[in-house]
Amino acid sequence: MKDREQAGITRGAQMSRRSFVGAAAAAAAFTIVGRDVLGGRRNVPPSEKLNIAGIGVGGRGAGDLDAVSSENIVVLCDVDQRRAADTFKRYPRARRYKDFRRMLDKEDKNIDAVIVATPDHVHAVASMAAIKRGKHVYCEKPLAHSIYEVRRVTEAARQAGVATQLGNQGQASEGTRLVEEFIVADAIGPVREVHSWSNRPISPRGIDRPKDSHSVPEGLDWDLWLGPSPKRPYHPCYLPFSWRGWWDFGTGVLGDIGCHQMAPIFRALKLGYPTSVEACSSGVNSETAPLASIVRYDFGARPGFPALKLSWYDGGLMPPRPAELPNGLRFGNADDNLCIGDKGKMLGHRLLPEARSKEYGKPPKILARSPGHHKEWIDACKGGQPAGSNFDVSGPLTEVVLLGNIALRTGQKLYEKGLKLHYDGPGMKVTNFPEANEYIRCEYRDGWKL
Amino acid sequence: MKTNKKQNERQNGRISRRDFMGAAAATAAFTIVPRHVLGGPGQTAPSDKLNIAAVGTGGRGSSNIESLKSQNIVALCDVDWRHARGTFRRYPKATKYKDFRRMLEIEDNNIDAVIVAAPDHIHAVASMAAIKRGKHVYCEKPLTHSVYEARVVAKAAREAGVATQMGNGGQASEGTRLMSEYIWGGAIGPVREVHVWTDRPLNGLDRVYWPQGVGRPEDTPKPPDTLDWDLWLGPAPERPYHPSYAPFKWRGWWDFGTGALGDIGCHSIDPIWRALKLDAPLTVEAACTLVNDETYPVASRVTYQFGPRGDMPAVKMHWYDGGMRPPRPDELDEGRQFGTNGTLFEGDKGKMLGHMVIPESRRKEFGTPPKVLERSPGHYQEWINACKGGKPAGSNFDHAGPLAEAVLLGNVALRASLKKKLTRTRLHWDSKNFKITNMPEANKYLQRDYREGWTL
Repeated sequence: MKDREQAGITRGAQMSRRSFVGAAAAAAAFTIVGRDVLGGRRNVPPSEKLNIAGIGVGGRGAGDLDAVSSENIVVLCDVDQRRAADTFKRYPRARRYKDFRRMLDKEDKNIDAVIVATPDHVHAVASMAAIKRGKHVYCEKPLAHSIYEVRRVTEAARQAGVATQLGNQGQASEGTRLVEEFIVADAIGPVREVHSWSNRPISPRGIDRPKDSHSVPEGLDWDLWLGPSPKRPYHPCYLPFSWRGWWDFGTGVLGDIGCHQMAPIFRALKLGYPTSVEACSSGVNSETAPLASIVRYDFGARPGFPALKLSWYDGGLMPPRPAELPNGLRFGNADDNLCIGDKGKMLGHRLLPEARSKEYGKPPKILARSPGHHKEWIDACKGGQPAGSNFDVSGPLTEVVLLGNIALRTGQKLYEKGLKLHYDGPGMKVTNFPEANEYIRCEYRDGWKL
Repeated sequence: MKTNKKQNERQNGRISRRDFMGAAAATAAFTIVPRHVLGGPGQTAPSDKLNIAAVGTGGRGSSNIESLKSQNIVALCDVDWRHARGTFRRYPKATKYKDFRRMLEIEDNNIDAVIVAAPDHIHAVASMAAIKRGKHVYCEKPLTHSVYEARVVAKAAREAGVATQMGNGGQASEGTRLMSEYIWGGAIGPVREVHVWTDRPLNGLDRVYWPQGVGRPEDTPKPPDTLDWDLWLGPAPERPYHPSYAPFKWRGWWDFGTGALGDIGCHSIDPIWRALKLDAPLTVEAACTLVNDETYPVASRVTYQFGPRGDMPAVKMHWYDGGMRPPRPDELDEGRQFGTNGTLFEGDKGKMLGHMVIPESRRKEFGTPPKVLERSPGHYQEWINACKGGKPAGSNFDHAGPLAEAVLLGNVALRASLKKKLTRTRLHWDSKNFKITNMPEANKYLQRDYREGWTL
């Protein structure tokens, strides 16, 4: 293991942090204040660059690295050399690792921040390891694989005072602000019902564990890919990307898209933990998420807001076309939100009916606009204000999203009992169906901890 | 024709109808008025027995026949004699056929009525052939495979004056009557929204009754020796035999079945249809999992809009299948099951799950509604009575036709090729002129082409 690990570090690409920073500083003529002048290893002034390590650097990870390439990308860590190849090529001077634990050990002094863009089941262990070392964390959505992990990571980040951001970049958009501004302006009156949906999945669902065996492809460290998840033989049905459908690794469409799609709703309607949740689906097995599902949350009244029902749909299901939407306007085959207020409806951030939209115009602009999702985080890392989807915001959001998966996995049993799941958010516990609590936290494989 | 008949009977060593009737009359001591006294074909006295032929005698057909065995089961037709084996054994005196067209030709003078329990794609051609010969028809649900067929068959039955009944047995139940009586009695006030759902094709958590959302099989196994595959296909387009289609699993295939909606919709929408006095919907829309032109989607939601009727307001009806269902109503007490299949009415004054008013407080306040509807002697008995000159059966084709049309229109809204356009509008249905008015290309799904040699 260790030998393979060391072999994974490409010597040729290695460069000491000092020489790297020196080169970077030389290239950046506007570098004014040296880090060491400020003292304290995490204080990076706006004028200086962050030293960032990427954990999981193919696919989405590559996109995240590009989005922060104004900073120094000093370390790249990936368990799959094939998947990482393009990113390795783009950042030839970054040091390369396979195991993020080893990387953090070795690079502790050389990095300020990490980007976690691994499959979902690795988010928490990687983020936590970084937080424990005082590193700022940008983590892809959903924040973690289980509610317990989310809670722990959120608390740890708060205590460590590191800058965090979840990868739901839509939160930085104009649309997200408009949704909130319309609500604040009372454009549709009190909202009691919201529908939120995605037309995913785009990888197989509702299937069983494969029985055929495959040899692990060269370049992939399967054991590391599994991380804290239970051991199972390698199979190409898990990666890349299609791990999303497998309960041991991914979090279904809800986990994939829910943190994106529900974020504006959470923000605008000041949602916290739901009081209860129920779910139905096209069939769940213990291996994969369903092909299609509907998850329905009940939120109690919040100050200034009445109780609300939030319905999530995926797999092609969605609410019926609102009567107020004129023919010709698209509804469906995409991800969207429909807010139903006492005085009107809002599709995304478009007021319905059309006449109402025209009459109303735009709501008062009361919210600051974002400099960009990744930039928010970079600024926060350099002492600026917390990013829009910092873990104090995105932690509770992710918990709610993941609670939906618990409802899906226990849905049929609950249904037979004539119950919804009753949830105690602060206590992190389903109160009326104890066996659902088994899904709040997942067991780690030997050698892995949070 | 008659010669053919006699020839066939002789060849099969079967008894003639006359002998058969004689034997039957002898065993039925209460036979009072002989058929010929009443005169005219198709007239059967209440005291006499009907002579019934069945098209499709395995599975559902077999239980239909059992339910009608108080009458004379004189001819049995099935394209797979192995599948029919049990029924054939139970009615050893019935003449056996494979092709219903031939059966009707040969038995024309010997039968009064026909049970059609073939797969959906055969319903219309078989029913129509029977109707054209003045036979009474009991046809399994859905009445037909296409909206057009439902329109034509219902019209033909009306014109022929034959007694008809669709196989949605629940229509005869106490529950169906109670639903109407509660609604009409004002238990939940005007109803503006209804939800109706089944878990089919899903069966429990992780099994299916039949697969949907799959493509056409590529292997071509040999059909069983006992199956006449060409006759099984009937008017449907030619394709090689595969066990994925027969028996039973044809339900999931566009060419043969009508999906979960067709299977269950005519059952569960029927009481809603009655209680809310529904007629043709104005619009239909759907959302579903990936769908192709081979099989129905794994799960779907279909929403119908109906205009105001009499003093009833416009109402939306949402159909869910494949495990989808409406939200559990807050008014339903904890611990009360919501049901794998169910109906939820939302009225201005309360809700009703099946015929249970919720919340309980409203249920107690309202009490029970006046009993304004006559109770049924039984679903099959209704039809027997109608065949013998009694009043029309509860799900006669004048009722079942429009119901089946609405159900099948839901399937049009699921069609893959229309999906993109349907993100921008709903299907607008002009029932009177039999036309989808806002999407001309959708009209081709109202009707289908028959294979050469087959006509309605």
